Amino acid sequence: MRLSEERAAELARAAVAATQADAAEAIVSASDSALTRFAGNRIHQNVAEDDAQLTIRAVLGTKTGVASTNRLDDEGRATCAAAAVNAARHAPEDPGFPGLPGDAPYEPLVREHAEALGFDAGRRAEAVRDIIAASSSRSLTAAGTVARNGYTLAVANSLDVTRATSSADVRATVLSMDDAGGSGWASWLGADLSGFSPRNLGERAATTAERAKGPASLEPGTYIVVLAPEAVSDLLDFMGYLGFGSKAFAEGGSFLVDKVGATIVDERISITDDVRSPQMIGLGFDFEGMPRQRVPLIERGMAREPVTDSYYASKLGMPNTGHALPAPNPYGPLPLNLTMDPGDVAEEDMIASLGRGVYVTRFHYVNVEDPMKLVLTGMTRDGTFLIENGRLTQSLKNLRFTQNVLEAFSHVGAIGAERSLIGPGEGGATLVPALMLER
Amino acid sequence: MLVGEIDRRAFCDTVLERAKELGAEYADIRIVSRDEEHIDLRTGKVETLQRESSYGFGVRVIVDGAWGFSSSPRLTIEDGRRVAEEAVRIARASASVKRKDVWLAPVDVHEGAFKSIFKIDPFDVPLEDKIGLLRDADRVLRQNDKIKLTDCSMDFWKYDQVFASTEGAYIEQFKIESGAGVAATAIEGAEVQKRSYPCAFGGDYAAAGYEFVESLMLVDHCEEVAKQAVELLSAPPCPTGEKTLILEGSMLALQVHESCGHPIELDRVFGTEASYAGTSFLTMDKLNNFRYGSDEVNITADATLKQGLGGFDFDDEGVPAQCVDIVKDGIFSGYLTSRETAAELGGTSMGAMRSDGWNRIPLIRMTNINLLPGDWSFDELIADTPDGIYAADVKSWSIDDKRLNFQFGTEIAWEIKDGSLGRVFKNPIYSSMTPAFWGGCDAICNERDWHLWGVPNCGKGEPMQVAHVAHGAAPARFRNVQVGVGR
Repeated sequence: MRLSEERAAELARAAVAATQADAAEAIVSASDSALTRFAGNRIHQNVAEDDAQLTIRAVLGTKTGVASTNRLDDEGRATCAAAAVNAARHAPEDPGFPGLPGDAPYEPLVREHAEALGFDAGRRAEAVRDIIAASSSRSLTAAGTVARNGYTLAVANSLDVTRATSSADVRATVLSMDDAGGSGWASWLGADLSGFSPRNLGERAATTAERAKGPASLEPGTYIVVLAPEAVSDLLDFMGYLGFGSKAFAEGGSFLVDKVGATIVDERISITDDVRSPQMIGLGFDFEGMPRQRVPLIERGMAREPVTDSYYASKLGMPNTGHALPAPNPYGPLPLNLTMDPGDVAEEDMIASLGRGVYVTRFHYVNVEDPMKLVLTGMTRDGTFLIENGRLTQSLKNLRFTQNVLEAFSHVGAIGAERSLIGPGEGGATLVPALMLER
Repeated sequence: MLVGEIDRRAFCDTVLERAKELGAEYADIRIVSRDEEHIDLRTGKVETLQRESSYGFGVRVIVDGAWGFSSSPRLTIEDGRRVAEEAVRIARASASVKRKDVWLAPVDVHEGAFKSIFKIDPFDVPLEDKIGLLRDADRVLRQNDKIKLTDCSMDFWKYDQVFASTEGAYIEQFKIESGAGVAATAIEGAEVQKRSYPCAFGGDYAAAGYEFVESLMLVDHCEEVAKQAVELLSAPPCPTGEKTLILEGSMLALQVHESCGHPIELDRVFGTEASYAGTSFLTMDKLNNFRYGSDEVNITADATLKQGLGGFDFDDEGVPAQCVDIVKDGIFSGYLTSRETAAELGGTSMGAMRSDGWNRIPLIRMTNINLLPGDWSFDELIADTPDGIYAADVKSWSIDDKRLNFQFGTEIAWEIKDGSLGRVFKNPIYSSMTPAFWGGCDAICNERDWHLWGVPNCGKGEPMQVAHVAHGAAPARFRNVQVGVGR
């Protein structure tokens, strides 16, 4: 039922034509998703939806207004166009508005996988059964999700930009728990079903949960930590949201401000927004139809420039890196496909190298205490362990951390050789290794 | 009621009939039309000026003792039948991995049309008036040259919903919600401080029309907001240590939300949110015999307060709105329930099933979760406190997955010394464990200072849903709280 790329592009062009303004941009996005949710070793929610949305940005001089609707018929389109123009008419002038972007060279990025789209309710139920098996055989309970998503995006504007693409992905999560507080977590994300083994996923979570039985308290303090990729992804999501976008940079609220070209973390840390990295699942252009560029954000420890869209590229005199979010966008351009360069140490070797430390599987409810200093606070969950003499020993009760992330990333012990695709979080999907941090 | 070419009642009947033909033991359908308007002026620039509309229907079924759900934006007979068929297929897949049949607690069947109370439809108010108000507020905020960033916003929602079930329910509900707020950020060197009115993170919201925005008198408060933000730049850090802490109402609203509202969701207790938002420390064995807080603490879940974002006539299972005790004289007394979870308790639903749209199943969500007022005036409370901290407006929040260990930051705090408010402090945070914190509550202000705060951004579920809820609270005092400073 999801719109084809051709139909989405046609609707976007028609919406631009229907908008009586100096310029117009139309986004047509269509999704076709299904999610099977389980807890207590049974499926308890099982849902499917499909929807399509038209968003029109009308431009009158330097004034813009936006309207959205999910009614894609002629009447819905006309009503949406009129609402966008009315909004633009009442908006104040924005002298900084550079106009809509013109076309730019774009190499299509193919992401569709029919196998993922065929992952129907029956097959998802089988996957759930396989995931649960490892937990139930150990008298543990499993909770999580198995989902498939299909997505079509088309962007058109009155400067002859027309782009359309589609993608699909499969995601699964599992939390395995015992009654006494031990729990273990595993997740999987990919563009298709190859490499997805529900049984292995369930096994990983259950093994961690078994190991996590009988958690003990740990004294507050500073510890060497090994962060699993899931935990690293949480930190990167916040870096992306708080500081890697040019709006925060322009407003003086980003940790990159006055630091471009300076070393801000360990030289082994390189963070890049790179949708074309082989494992990534994102779309090749942004919500203005501009090609997503590869953008180094931290390069061998040195701060680089943030991601931009047409507005902030013009404002800051930087290239348009193609990171626009849909209008209206109060957050500015943001990176959605963050990657951290791998290192050369296996996660198990990081653990083996430590006399004493803490292993963290993932974080919970991370929030910001100081965006400029990148001080975050949150809890650990689902597999936190003491490391003693090179081994995971005692399971630990969940701990609260409050940490300046740039400071932590300045004391890197080792970076993992393997990377995992984690997401989508607030920052989209991230491709990250494990990290050992010495403080 | 006709929407386009569709008679909604006839459409519902057709879809539900199809579900029954395919073997559904139970089915319900919601048709939801939702309009939104968002205006956000940031540092003089209109960042958001948007109207959005969404329309569609969703069908829930129980087949072979398990749930299935599907939805569509196309209200055609063809799609109605297709969605019913897909929901049944999905339910049969669910049934292949079940432990026992779904059982729903009984509910009286209702029919009728209900409308929320409002005076001015915000969607009829000219855009130039709304933008004009925000521009006036922005202008006053930025009169102080240390104010580098401002945020002045308004948000409006309009819902037109039908619920129908194979049990014979047919309920139409219409609701309007409005909200607004302002914030000013002062920056000097590396110091960044923010103040908001009437509260942080977008302001205050109610199930009301534009008259609610007018009542906030935003412009009148902007000078004080800017002044306080600038004052915070040079304020000393909040002292650390175990303190007597008085929390302002909107901060207390978040405290109630995070440390009470979420752990009383019975689906969390039963583990169905375990892999995402977590579980709850309020396990079933604690019902009616666990001391959640001091004798002063009384908390209710009250959907009958229809002026609150968490108020309504019927929930999304057709259960009438109710007011129930959650904490009574400090003892944990009740949960938020659904028909399915209430059946586990052997009772009936208290009506807390809510969905954020046609394409989402209802989940157990907060309604209006209220800390009932006490006996103190605010002036009396301060005068009675020889040494303490008064903290206001949410800045940051973090709590563990069982809703026990929390750490919250506020925008501002004042020293309380010898019964008077004194110096301003910056970057206050406080942390505690939920029962210990509420156990230290020894005074709550009275109805004069009690306010029903609207919270339009409560996230839960997979796929994610955002619920609009509310919390009534008056300032209250807590003893022996660990207060620290955000770094």
